Amino acid sequence: MTSTPALFLDHESLVPLIEELSKTLEVVAPVYAEGEPVFATWKGEALALDADNPLNSPVEFFLPQKEVLFKYVQYSGRYTFSEEPPKSRLILGMRPCDLQAIKVLDEIFGTELSDHPYTSKRKSTIIVAMNCTSPGKGCFCASMGSGPAAKEGYDLLLTDVGSGYLVESGSPAGMFVLRANSRHFEEASPEHLKEKERRLALAEEEIVKRRLALTPEQIREAIDETDWEEVERRCLRCGGCSLVCPVCHCFSVMDRGVPDGERLRCRDTCTLAGFSRMTSGANPRASLGERLRHWYLDKFVYIPEKTGMLGCVGCGRCSRVCLSDVDRWSILREAIE
Amino acid sequence: MEKIHTTCVYCGCGCGLYLHVEDGQVVGASPSPAHPVARGRLCVKGWLAHDFVHHPDRLKTPQIKRGERQVRASWEDALSLTAERLNEIKEESGPDALAVLTSAKGTNEENYLLMKLARAALKTNNVDHVARLCHAPSVAGLGASLGSGAMTNSIKSLLSADAILVTGSNTTEQHPLVAAHILEAQSRGATLIVADPRKTQIAQLADIHLEPCLGSDVAWTNGILNLIIERGLADEDFIRDRTEGFSVLRESILKYTPEVVERISGISPEDLEKAAVAFGEAPRAAVVYAMGTTQHSNGTDNVLALANLILATGNVGREGTGICPLRGHQNVQGACDMGALPTVYSGYQKVEDPGAREKMATAWVTDLPSTPGLTAVEMMEAAEVGRIRGIYISGENPMMSYPDRDQVKRALESLEFLAVAEIFPTETTALADVVFPVASFAEKDGTFTSTERRVQRVRQAVTPPGEARSEWEVAADLMKRLGIEADYTSPKEVMAEIARLTPPYGGISYQRLGISGLHWPCPDPDHPGTDILHRESFPIGRAKFFPVEHLELEVDPEYPFLLTTGRSLFHFHTGTMTRRVHLLDREIPRPAVDINPEDAAALGVRRGQRVLVESREHSLEIEVDVTGVVPKGTVFIPFHFNEAPANLLTVQNLDPKSKIPDFKRTSVRIRRAD
Ligand code: SF4
Ligand code: SF4
Ligand code: SF4
Repeated sequence: MTSTPALFLDHESLVPLIEELSKTLEVVAPVYAEGEPVFATWKGEALALDADNPLNSPVEFFLPQKEVLFKYVQYSGRYTFSEEPPKSRLILGMRPCDLQAIKVLDEIFGTELSDHPYTSKRKSTIIVAMNCTSPGKGCFCASMGSGPAAKEGYDLLLTDVGSGYLVESGSPAGMFVLRANSRHFEEASPEHLKEKERRLALAEEEIVKRRLALTPEQIREAIDETDWEEVERRCLRCGGCSLVCPVCHCFSVMDRGVPDGERLRCRDTCTLAGFSRMTSGANPRASLGERLRHWYLDKFVYIPEKTGMLGCVGCGRCSRVCLSDVDRWSILREAIE
Repeated sequence: MEKIHTTCVYCGCGCGLYLHVEDGQVVGASPSPAHPVARGRLCVKGWLAHDFVHHPDRLKTPQIKRGERQVRASWEDALSLTAERLNEIKEESGPDALAVLTSAKGTNEENYLLMKLARAALKTNNVDHVARLCHAPSVAGLGASLGSGAMTNSIKSLLSADAILVTGSNTTEQHPLVAAHILEAQSRGATLIVADPRKTQIAQLADIHLEPCLGSDVAWTNGILNLIIERGLADEDFIRDRTEGFSVLRESILKYTPEVVERISGISPEDLEKAAVAFGEAPRAAVVYAMGTTQHSNGTDNVLALANLILATGNVGREGTGICPLRGHQNVQGACDMGALPTVYSGYQKVEDPGAREKMATAWVTDLPSTPGLTAVEMMEAAEVGRIRGIYISGENPMMSYPDRDQVKRALESLEFLAVAEIFPTETTALADVVFPVASFAEKDGTFTSTERRVQRVRQAVTPPGEARSEWEVAADLMKRLGIEADYTSPKEVMAEIARLTPPYGGISYQRLGISGLHWPCPDPDHPGTDILHRESFPIGRAKFFPVEHLELEVDPEYPFLLTTGRSLFHFHTGTMTRRVHLLDREIPRPAVDINPEDAAALGVRRGQRVLVESREHSLEIEVDVTGVVPKGTVFIPFHFNEAPANLLTVQNLDPKSKIPDFKRTSVRIRRAD
């Protein structure tokens, strides 16, 4: 979807560029916090673009773990409400898997009844994605069709081609950023484009070779074959698999504070019994095994039915955080192989 | 958004995590991949560690009791009133009419200053904290046998064990990250032996599950050791070179034959044999235990029996071996290290030792009391009879966590002056004359020391709510008002003083802690820290065997059930924090007593019905949960809930050696409540 010719950005020019951008926007980028890459507001610290994709996905800038929907104040029996406007942000270094997750979320939150807190943040954010030329150990985006190359959904897209970044724009907003900062860019050469293709083909090959994941069809088959009671026996109930997943998006809403206070929305997880327990105490997914099965079904059956896209983008985070050290995908593989 | 690396506030695993901060609010938490214990993972409480921080119930202004009501007050008034009243009581009745209870939730710096407040400013050694209620037997037992009451090895060391015996620990729920390490070791081939009367998750995952009846730990542990020695699996070189007292021990355990053990504990000779062989044959074996071992009226004996087991098999001082008392609170280890105990200064330097006293007195430029103080439960008794008249409590909720809640209430009510520093209103702040609003873990700097002796940074992410201040500031301010110099400008400065006066912390400074912290002992600034203790020798030279005997407990036919108490995965301690975390509260919103299906059928109760659980003195109405997790004859109540405070029923049966109360075994009867 490249609508302007690709440009080239020196490695050294990246920081001056984002310095420029951060004058008008909050720039969010992977930075090192005590030595580990995390997505946070960039304040001039060293960028962690070469490190693995941070454990916590930048999706939290659209769907925070906890957000104030509005504040309420009661004054002689009447309530007044106040809402914070979304921040103008630029997220640098979002990987193709997370980009695809946002595409799924756009479909879920943005269509039919549009979810204002989500869509307003989406609209006020510029995404500068970055293709993965050296994929992390647990990544299997290639099997889920979401990476290692981003196809669409970005405003700008960077690919590290060794000597610098190849920069492509994917939206009018992206083009505007390029034009407004043209002095930082050069024209890209055909070699740069070739190098991009070469690097991404290598990355894809590497991911496919690892055979971390099954195909979506195999997964659906495996869901029926898996011994969910055994998975339940081992699961340590941390909820991490779903709390860390960039596609998981369930939340609960609560009011905190009487008479004045805040209406909060917090990330929720279907791995907890309380999520599906009904008022009577009955629970349609009473056992943990059933809940974990549901989690896979949602990703590979229900979300695809709703959105036409898979509910898993292959970022590998659920396996990274699993407290019971169950590789989420080998459980399924064992079931059918 | 900023991400601040800090240490989890809940359990002793001490996981590193990031707090996500936006516009001065903590809006999320995520695991730290580089942290050596967390390794990018957390338990459900850790994932939700941010949620209580800005809860509207947070205490925001100091309160002073006027008549029956607590009313808002200025810091100046609250502090000067506290200093004045404490001083008055001291003048009238002597310093030992005062006491300080510190908190295992506070930082090391806070615990240090609070113990200094008690000793230097109030001139009493009446200072204690919640460890009394969990691991005093470890300090007493392991202190006597090995010379140190702390976990001998690191959590990571468990990964290289060939056999792990877990006893009295519901590890997957109480110390999830330790459990993750144990299970990883098992999947690498280690044999997992779990002794627990309940069918907890880790018991169900065990290779060998022993189901001893409550109160039979000494018998089966002795029984296992007896078999190990009989089979020639003891480590004779180790026994000869590094221990003493083996022959007496050998004699004493001969009578614990498999048949005798079966009669006492219900464990079959086959299972006992399997466990003994697995443990005895393992080149590297480790013991992991928690409150199920210590919270008994013979808790110290239980610990000594386990220490005998690892000593006789030579499982000390090497990677993959050791004895691991799991500490409940995230900083209960640190609170002990800091001398928040009636008998010792920081670094376990005895108050009775004139040399140690002299050293502290010189550093603090004052004179210090020499007689050891009272323990937490003794303080309550003393308060009830008027021997203690004023208490300063920093971050504890004895009304919920101490045994025999009625007595605690009477004790606190009979005080002439009670000041409590807390983050949320509790059953205890309700009784206070002065309430100080204080900072939570997200709002202050400092250090916590995890169960594996890892000293780690706590980093301030946001400012405290309202007028709340850090406990270290309150302690320093009170000290100044009581005439002791305390011009600290930051916790870092306090740590510098701690390092100067506390040999095992001698090399600890904020600059060095980074993401992974340091294991004490770390005596000097170049020392790399000590992940495994007793490699070459024991602090007491040779380790000692202590023969211990099974204690026959009488069963009262009137009260045929044994009540045991504990915690659940989703709540922490008295629930002050977790019950304010929406998802955790929703998961287990109500207290329930776990009853075995056979017992439930015999009593004619179903899940969800209400029963009366009655001990000799008290009774409690509570909902029933029917579950095979508890064996027949045993019932379980978690102690997080003030609507059904389990510790209303527990009796103050103290272990004579460590003074820990018996939370794990109370005789009760049960009937339907209708
Ligand atoms: S299911 Fe796992 S691998 Fe897939 S998107 Fe979610 S976290 Fe990533
Ligand atoms: S991450 Fe693993 S241990 Fe945690 S809830 Fe998911 S499956 Fe269970
Ligand atoms: S295991 Fe303990 S320290 Fe780790 S996240 Fe859970 S409560 Fe916190």
